[in-house]
Amino acid sequence: MRTPIRAAVAVVAALAVLVPLVWFWYASLVPATYDMAAMGYPDYGGGPAVTHEHGGPRVADLTGPSGEPDVAVTLVARADGSRYTLNGTSPGPVIRAVQGQLVEVTLVNESIPDGVTLHWHGVDVPNAEDGVAGITQDAVARGGRHVYRFVVTDAGTYWYHSHQVSHEQVRRGLFGALVVTPPGSSANDQVVAVHTYDGRRTVNGVPGVSALTGRRIRVINTDAGPIRVWVSGTPFRVLAIDGHDVHEPAAITGEAVLVTAGGRADLQLETAGRVDVGGGAAIGTGSPIPAPKINVDFLAYGSPSGLGFDPAAANRRFAYTIGRRIGFLDGRPGMWWTVDGHLFPDVPMFMVVTGDVVRMTITNDSGEVHPMHLHGHHAVVLSRDGVAATGSPWWIDSLDVADGATYEIAFVADNPGIWADHCHNLEHVPEGLVAHLAYAGVASSFQVGGAAGNVPE
Amino acid sequence: MRALYRALSGLIALSVAVQAAVLAAAWFLVLKDTDSGAVFDKNSGANWGHAAHSVIGMGVVPLLALLLLLVSFFARVPGGVTWALITLGVVVLQIVLAFVSYSAPVTGLLHGLNAFAVAGVASVAMRRAGDAAAPAGPVAVS
Repeated sequence: MRTPIRAAVAVVAALAVLVPLVWFWYASLVPATYDMAAMGYPDYGGGPAVTHEHGGPRVADLTGPSGEPDVAVTLVARADGSRYTLNGTSPGPVIRAVQGQLVEVTLVNESIPDGVTLHWHGVDVPNAEDGVAGITQDAVARGGRHVYRFVVTDAGTYWYHSHQVSHEQVRRGLFGALVVTPPGSSANDQVVAVHTYDGRRTVNGVPGVSALTGRRIRVINTDAGPIRVWVSGTPFRVLAIDGHDVHEPAAITGEAVLVTAGGRADLQLETAGRVDVGGGAAIGTGSPIPAPKINVDFLAYGSPSGLGFDPAAANRRFAYTIGRRIGFLDGRPGMWWTVDGHLFPDVPMFMVVTGDVVRMTITNDSGEVHPMHLHGHHAVVLSRDGVAATGSPWWIDSLDVADGATYEIAFVADNPGIWADHCHNLEHVPEGLVAHLAYAGVASSFQVGGAAGNVPE
Repeated sequence: MRALYRALSGLIALSVAVQAAVLAAAWFLVLKDTDSGAVFDKNSGANWGHAAHSVIGMGVVPLLALLLLLVSFFARVPGGVTWALITLGVVVLQIVLAFVSYSAPVTGLLHGLNAFAVAGVASVAMRRAGDAAAPAGPVAVS
């Protein structure tokens, strides 16, 4: 072949390789500042099409009630070396309230460089109190403050944590427990907030074995992955999951309880015993039994009871299929998580109208477990891998979706706003594992990026 | 260009040895860390061995393989484009095998074995560029 022709062929071949790559790279770029509600594509779940903006409320208008708070707490966020603290400790102070009380929390950012927010994990607060930077508020900069107000309508075990650069801030300690008790109940409970700091598994910040001080053990998994909790020396019952009571829970021996990342489980011990949370961290006394090989299956635990709504009457059905593929995410090449086959930001926006009954099928084909967390709502598990739930209504806000598993869940769209629906292995969120649930007519108030430097993930 | 082709294919073959070395160090580091009470779980960040394996495997080697293909169009190495494509192919296969292994860890065996294919194929490409360079004169031009 003559040299000029040969050179031309080589150039064409090189361009044939390079041009598509540059195109995919360019198409993946995300603006520095954007409206989350304007990203991706609307998914109406087979229901009628609806839009974001109809002159309805803005996210910032969907605040909690005014009036004198029953519980008022100030939390000061501080950088103490590599650890982030609230009021000088990590975990932050346990906030306790009685069901129906108005809680007011004033968040002060003393020295967290990236800014900070507080998300009330599992509490179905009004949207503007949800604490997600760039969606429900601006991140609180150093020297700033933000007041959260909400009524705790459901008794149960919850937690709060930063939702600004959350994959880093939660890991470094910006979280604490929130306990809501029914009126007139005697507590006799113990918070067990499990967190792994720098490779050390801890209970309430303490590695090793701590004292048992209650009978109702409120286990909170603040870590990135599921933990297995097991009890030695006494039978126990799982009284509640994710802040919702289990109906007629049976006594358990020889089975572990899997608590997914972000999830909670309330264990009632019949007598004194020992509760292990893995990694050598535990409460109680005595030597532990070996970790049981099987977990309590919440699909068949407890006995059925009314749901308060009819999932068969669902008018929207969404698919939330988690995958993984090679591609560019905001210009970075890698293996990224996909939602319904799409890379962030080209992900579905699940659109609903207040009062809708929604079914969602969550499928994980991605190779790793994902603890899926829907903000602002509790959903009930209908089935796993096609097997219908037969036990107590299993209400969740954080669901452990193992690799290869499929869950169908249902919920009532009863809390207007724009809500994150993401993986609570928080490292996975900047890797693309986030979508949103948006109500028709609710307009955005905040932007990701922007002057406040909002980084919700 | 031929020298560049030779250098790139050589680097890809060399990277396989580096990948094996850093991965071995990574897991010995994990074992050592557990000696002092650390937990290896979903919270664990990558240690330097894991980080190097990931950066080299997902970044450096695919980039080298891509550059090798681009250079092959200009380098006049006999069979150079073919061997560059084969190299890129086994590199892509290596990444696919890695991620399939998350679901099916036994596939990790193939990931380990395919590393030898990457090294072998890249070595053949390197030798081709070397052979082509050796005899001076027009013989090398096809």
